Amino acid sequence: MLNEILSALVAVATLQNLLIMVAGIWGGVIVGAIPGMTGTMAVTLALPFTFYMDPVPSILLLVALYKGSTYGGSVSAILIKTPGTASAACTALDGYPLAQQGKAGKALNMALYSSVTGDFISNLSLIFFAAPLAVLALRIGPPEFFMLMLFALTTVAGVSGSSLLMGLVSAALGLLLATVGEDMYGSFRFAFTPDMQAGLSIAPVLIGLFALPELIKLVVMRAAKKEEAATLGAQHVTRAEFMGSLKSILKGSVIGSVLGAIPGIGPSSAAFFSYGEAQRSSKNGANFGKGELEGIAASESANNGACGATMIPLLALGVPGDVITGVMLGAFMIQGLTPGPLLFQTNIHEVYMLLIGMLVSSVLLFFAGKATMRMFAKVSHIPQTLLTPLVLLLCIFGIYSIASSPFDVAVLLVMGVVGFGMFLLNIPAAPFLIAFILGPMLEENLRRALAISRGEPAVLLSSPITWVFAALIVFVLFITVRREILKSKTERRVAQ
Amino acid sequence: MPKPVLRGLIIVAFFALTAFVLVPAFVPRPAFIPGFAPPPDMWPRTVSLAGIALGALALLFAVTRPQADEPPLETDGSSPARMTGRFAGLMLAFVLFLVAIPLLGFLVSTMLLTLCIVLMTGERGHRIWIALLAFGAPILLQLFFNSALGTQFPKGVLTKPFGF
Repeated sequence: MLNEILSALVAVATLQNLLIMVAGIWGGVIVGAIPGMTGTMAVTLALPFTFYMDPVPSILLLVALYKGSTYGGSVSAILIKTPGTASAACTALDGYPLAQQGKAGKALNMALYSSVTGDFISNLSLIFFAAPLAVLALRIGPPEFFMLMLFALTTVAGVSGSSLLMGLVSAALGLLLATVGEDMYGSFRFAFTPDMQAGLSIAPVLIGLFALPELIKLVVMRAAKKEEAATLGAQHVTRAEFMGSLKSILKGSVIGSVLGAIPGIGPSSAAFFSYGEAQRSSKNGANFGKGELEGIAASESANNGACGATMIPLLALGVPGDVITGVMLGAFMIQGLTPGPLLFQTNIHEVYMLLIGMLVSSVLLFFAGKATMRMFAKVSHIPQTLLTPLVLLLCIFGIYSIASSPFDVAVLLVMGVVGFGMFLLNIPAAPFLIAFILGPMLEENLRRALAISRGEPAVLLSSPITWVFAALIVFVLFITVRREILKSKTERRVAQ
Repeated sequence: MPKPVLRGLIIVAFFALTAFVLVPAFVPRPAFIPGFAPPPDMWPRTVSLAGIALGALALLFAVTRPQADEPPLETDGSSPARMTGRFAGLMLAFVLFLVAIPLLGFLVSTMLLTLCIVLMTGERGHRIWIALLAFGAPILLQLFFNSALGTQFPKGVLTKPFGF
């Protein structure tokens, strides 16, 4: 085994492979940082280029793009409150307030350190726990999936904004919007126009909800101009700050690794879950959403922590965990490799090369992130009155380019108005978004569970795993309500 | 009307409209549903009813448990009427942009929208930057997306003779 690992290490450590990984990570960070351009787009666009490459470098290129874009999403989330990817939505909650306080560099550095740590731990989990975790994930059926997602949704609703009730309302709105389009039996729901028959894409909804309300606020309210963000040079994360967030980073990395290994969950849910858990358990929980470094650490460690772990079901079972690993499955097939248990027997050399390459790419992510950060940091010096229209322009072009659909551009603008309305009514946007992403899976698993059990709702509490998630839901609701009651009492006492 | 009460009313009204008007009208039930599979309207109806319950709860709390005043929104001190006017102007700009795409093409429409938005933010300085942003950036972005991704942006009926 040691010989195999050493020979794989030698095979990976070529200049060509390193350059491919650096290019992939750089490209991924830049694509991820541009609102409207997603990691999926980057990986899909790179797929044709892999036709002409050897198997391992081609997969390493796609993996590097995936990791880079997941981290890159945090850059725009912090600097301009526009998550480049859905998984960076939580990062914007604390990153943007920090940027407004002139601590953009600190936030970007914390995002980078957390991402690299999460990514590294995730790769280790891929190496050591691929098979056992994949077996566990196989045991999760529709009822367990439904309860797991309901738990994730409850957690997000509980931690976003100042009221659990408004968080749940926001989640209900997101779930409702997710039902637009064709359902699993071919019925078109809420298809007011022919374009709506295909449903609403995630990208315009996400970007519209998070980026455009800022523009509308700027035009309508024209609030006093904020001070420019400080330069990055003096904004290093101190050792104390890093150590203070280390618990959340490690926890986020583990959450990302475990949730990433479950097909269908992916980095977005992992980030929201980790953020909620960090807020619940941190002594600085009250500062989350106002510019707390620990919030960024929790979110970024989990979303990058899920990247490597999504490869676990892909490599061990041949099951892609999300859209990006689905594209990678195609790349494996093109190269004549069939992911699954047999891959570990027939192509063990390639598997080791891939695993070692992924570890090396974690290190490269650090340097690429540092270099790219300085480039993107200049964004914070542009006046809001010029930057915000530029963001709108990027969003419009990016969204249009995904499907060449003017309808998607219209969805983007409408969601901006919806987001502004939610801001005026103090309804948090994060539960809306995660409910919109999880909604189709939540419904599909509920309907499958009910169909399997012949319409018996008790199936949702039929196994120990569902009991655990049900207990966790009750626990989260209890903790959140208790926190709100205590907060309300304190406010009343202060008022008196 | 206090904001929490208004919020509760809006939530109840929206979900009630969905549950009792939109779901029956826009979620068709197929004639045959295999096995014990729930019908397509089960989930949207369930979510809407849950939304009504949450809205009613919000309304109840707003009426029975008066909360501390929410912090005022940060504005430039303009009157509500003026801000409503700005919002209406922005909505008009969005609608005109979507209407203009088939007529003027994607490029010219985005140029006009960007210029309009920059001016609506109150920005009057940085004139060279405004011009570059409104006219240069759309051209650069179109060139990038066209050459890198092969995106074909729609040409306008009126501007087609000019090539965009």
